[in-house]
Amino acid sequence: MTSAVKIQALNKVYPGDVTALKSADLEIGDNEFFTLLGPSGCGKTTLLRLIAGFEEPTAGVLSLFGDDISTLPPEKRPVNTVFQHYSLFPHMSVFENVAFGLRRLGRSDKDAKARVEAMLDLVHLTDFAGRKPSQLSGGQQQRVALARALAPEPKVLLLDEPLSALDLKLRQSMRAELKRLQKDTGITFVFVTHDQEEALAMSDRIAVMSAGEIQQVGDPSAIYEHPENRFVAEFIGDANFLNATVAETTPSGTTYALDAGGTLTGPDQGRAKGEAVTLFFRPEKATLSQVGEGPNQLRCTVKDILYLGNSTDYWLALDHVTTLIVRSKNQTDGTVIADIGEQISLSLDPAALRILAT
Amino acid sequence: MTRSRDIRWLPGFSWVTLFFFVFLYAPLIILVVFSFNASRSATVWAGFSFEWYTKAFANDDIQRAATNSVIIAIFATIAATTIATMAALTLSRNKRVKGKPVFGGVLIFPLMIPEIVTAVATLTFFAAIGLSLGLGNIIIAHTVFCIPFAYLPIRARLDGMDESLEAAAQDLYASKFTTLRLITLPLLMPGIVSGAMLAFIISLDDFIITLMVAEAGSTTLPIYIYSLVRIGITPEVNAVSTVLLGFSVIVVTLSYVIGKKNKT
Ligand SMILES: Nc1ncnc2c1ncn2[C@@H]1O[C@H](COP(=O)(O)OP(=O)(O)OP(=O)(O)O)[C@@H](O)[C@H]1O
Ligand SMILES: [Mg+2]
Repeated sequence: MTSAVKIQALNKVYPGDVTALKSADLEIGDNEFFTLLGPSGCGKTTLLRLIAGFEEPTAGVLSLFGDDISTLPPEKRPVNTVFQHYSLFPHMSVFENVAFGLRRLGRSDKDAKARVEAMLDLVHLTDFAGRKPSQLSGGQQQRVALARALAPEPKVLLLDEPLSALDLKLRQSMRAELKRLQKDTGITFVFVTHDQEEALAMSDRIAVMSAGEIQQVGDPSAIYEHPENRFVAEFIGDANFLNATVAETTPSGTTYALDAGGTLTGPDQGRAKGEAVTLFFRPEKATLSQVGEGPNQLRCTVKDILYLGNSTDYWLALDHVTTLIVRSKNQTDGTVIADIGEQISLSLDPAALRILAT
Repeated sequence: MTRSRDIRWLPGFSWVTLFFFVFLYAPLIILVVFSFNASRSATVWAGFSFEWYTKAFANDDIQRAATNSVIIAIFATIAATTIATMAALTLSRNKRVKGKPVFGGVLIFPLMIPEIVTAVATLTFFAAIGLSLGLGNIIIAHTVFCIPFAYLPIRARLDGMDESLEAAAQDLYASKFTTLRLITLPLLMPGIVSGAMLAFIISLDDFIITLMVAEAGSTTLPIYIYSLVRIGITPEVNAVSTVLLGFSVIVVTLSYVIGKKNKT
C-alpha cells in the first residue's frame, strides 16, 4: 500500500493549552475511502485542517505521498476540502465556483471549461451552471462543493461532515453518490463524521478517535466486530459489557465466571486463570428462549421491551446492577417472546463473545 | 382588552414621543419651505419660487466653498476608507495581533471625544509641526476623524462574513492577495461603500474642526453658511442648506441600503 497521507507523532495544541491532537500516528492508503469517526470535540476537524494546511502542527511530521508538507501553506498543497457548510463563493455562479481552483492553477479557458462541464456532469448539475449558490437547495450546494473540490484533481480530498446539514433521505442518497465518486475518480477521500452508521456504510477503513487520540484503525467489520477497547465498542453501535474472571482455560475455549453470576464460554485469548476481564457482545448476537439453562445461557428478567419496527430490543436484568440488551429480529408472526417481568433465557454463541483490553 | 389594562399602553408616553418628533423636524421643515419663498422674509410666506436657488448657484463664493468642500470630502473619504478597510482586516483577521478588542476600541474612541477638543488638539498639533498645506491640512484632519465612521460598517460586514470562504479560496490554490482581491474585497464591498458614504457626509458637514484648521482661501460650505447666517438669515442660506440636507439624506439612505444589501 502506498500511503497517500502519513502522519507521525502529530500534535496540535491550541492557544490556551487546548490539546486537540495527542501524538497521532496514521497512514491513509492511496485510493482509499478513509473515515475519521468520533464524538464532538475529539479533534477530527483539527486533523483535517492540519492536512489541508489551515493549522500548523505543534509537533510531528505530515507527509503526502512521501513528501513532507508540514510547512507548506494551504494553496501549495495538492489537497482540496469540502467544507461542512459548503462555503461556496456567494458572488460567483456555480460555473465560476467550480472553475475557481482551475483558474488559480493557470489552466487555459478552454481546458477549464471542459473540466468544469465534466465535473458538473459528474454531480448531475449541468443545468445549474449559471445559477448563484443561493438559488440552490442544500443538496445541490453540497454537490457543487464536491465538484469544486474535485475539479483541480487533488491527490487527497478532505470532507468535513459534508452530509450533516442534509435531511435523512438526501443523506442516504448522497452516501451512495460519494462512494461512487470516490471509486470513479480514484482520489483518496478523508471523510469526517460523527455518525457511526455513515462511517460503517461508506468507508474502506475507519479511524475511531476520542479526546485527541486515535483509538483504533480498521475496516468497518473489524471495528464493529472486534473493537479493541470499551470506547470503540460503545461508540460503534450498542454493546453489552460484563465483568468476569477467567475460570477455566481449555484448548477449545475459555470459561469466564461472571461477577453477576453464571458462566460464559468464549474464544481463548491467552488470559491466565483468575484474571479479571471485561466481556462484550453485540445485542443482535444473542438469542432468547423461554426455557433452558445450558452452556452459554443466562437466566434474566425482562425489564423493558422496545419495539423498533424491524427488530425489538429486550432490556434484561441479570442482577440488580447488570442490564443486558438483546435485539431480536421481528419475524412474520409478530408474537412477543416474553412479557415484562418474566424470566427468560439468553443464549450466546461462544464465537460472538469478545474480551476487551480493559 | 381595554387600554388601561394593556401593558403596552403607558399614559403620556405617546405625547412625549410626538412632541420630540415635532421638535426634531419642525425647524427642518420650516427651513426647507422658506427656501422656496418668493419674498426676502424668513417668516412671511409670499408664494413659491426658485429665485434663491438660482441666486445661490450663481454666487461665486458659494461655488468656491462648495468646490472646496467636495474636494476635501473626496480625498478624505478615499484615504479614510482605505485605512479603515486595512484596519478592519487586520483587527479581525490577523492572528498575530494581540489585544484586538483594545485596538478596535481605541480606533472608534474618537467618536466619543468632544469635537472641540479634537479641533483644538489638531490645530495645536499642526501649528507645532508647522504643517501648512492649505486644503491639505483640512484633508488630513478630515481623514483622521472620518476613519472611525468608515471603520464601523466595514468591520460589521467583515464580522458577519464567513471566514471559511477565505479558507476555501486558499484551499483552491489562491494566494493571500488573490483571495483578498477575488473573495474578501468583493464580499466586503457593501460595507466599504457604506463606510465611504458615511465618511463623505461626515466630512462634508463638518464645521468645528474645519473652522479651526482652515486657512484663508480654504473656506468650506458649512463655514461659509455660518458666515452668512451671522449677517442675517436669508432665503439664500435656506436654499444652500436645503441642498446640503437633501444630499446628506440621499447619501446616508444609500449608505444604509447598500450596507444592508445581501447580508449573507
Ligand atoms: N481555534 C481553536 N482554538 C482553541 N481551541 C480549539 C480551536 N479549534 C478547536 N479547538 C478545540 O480543540 C478540540 C477539538 O476540536 P475539533 O474542532 O477538532 O473537534 P471535532 O472533532 O471536529 O468536533 P465536531 O464533531 O464538534 O466538529 C475541541 O476541544 C475544541 O474546543
Ligand atoms: Mg468538526
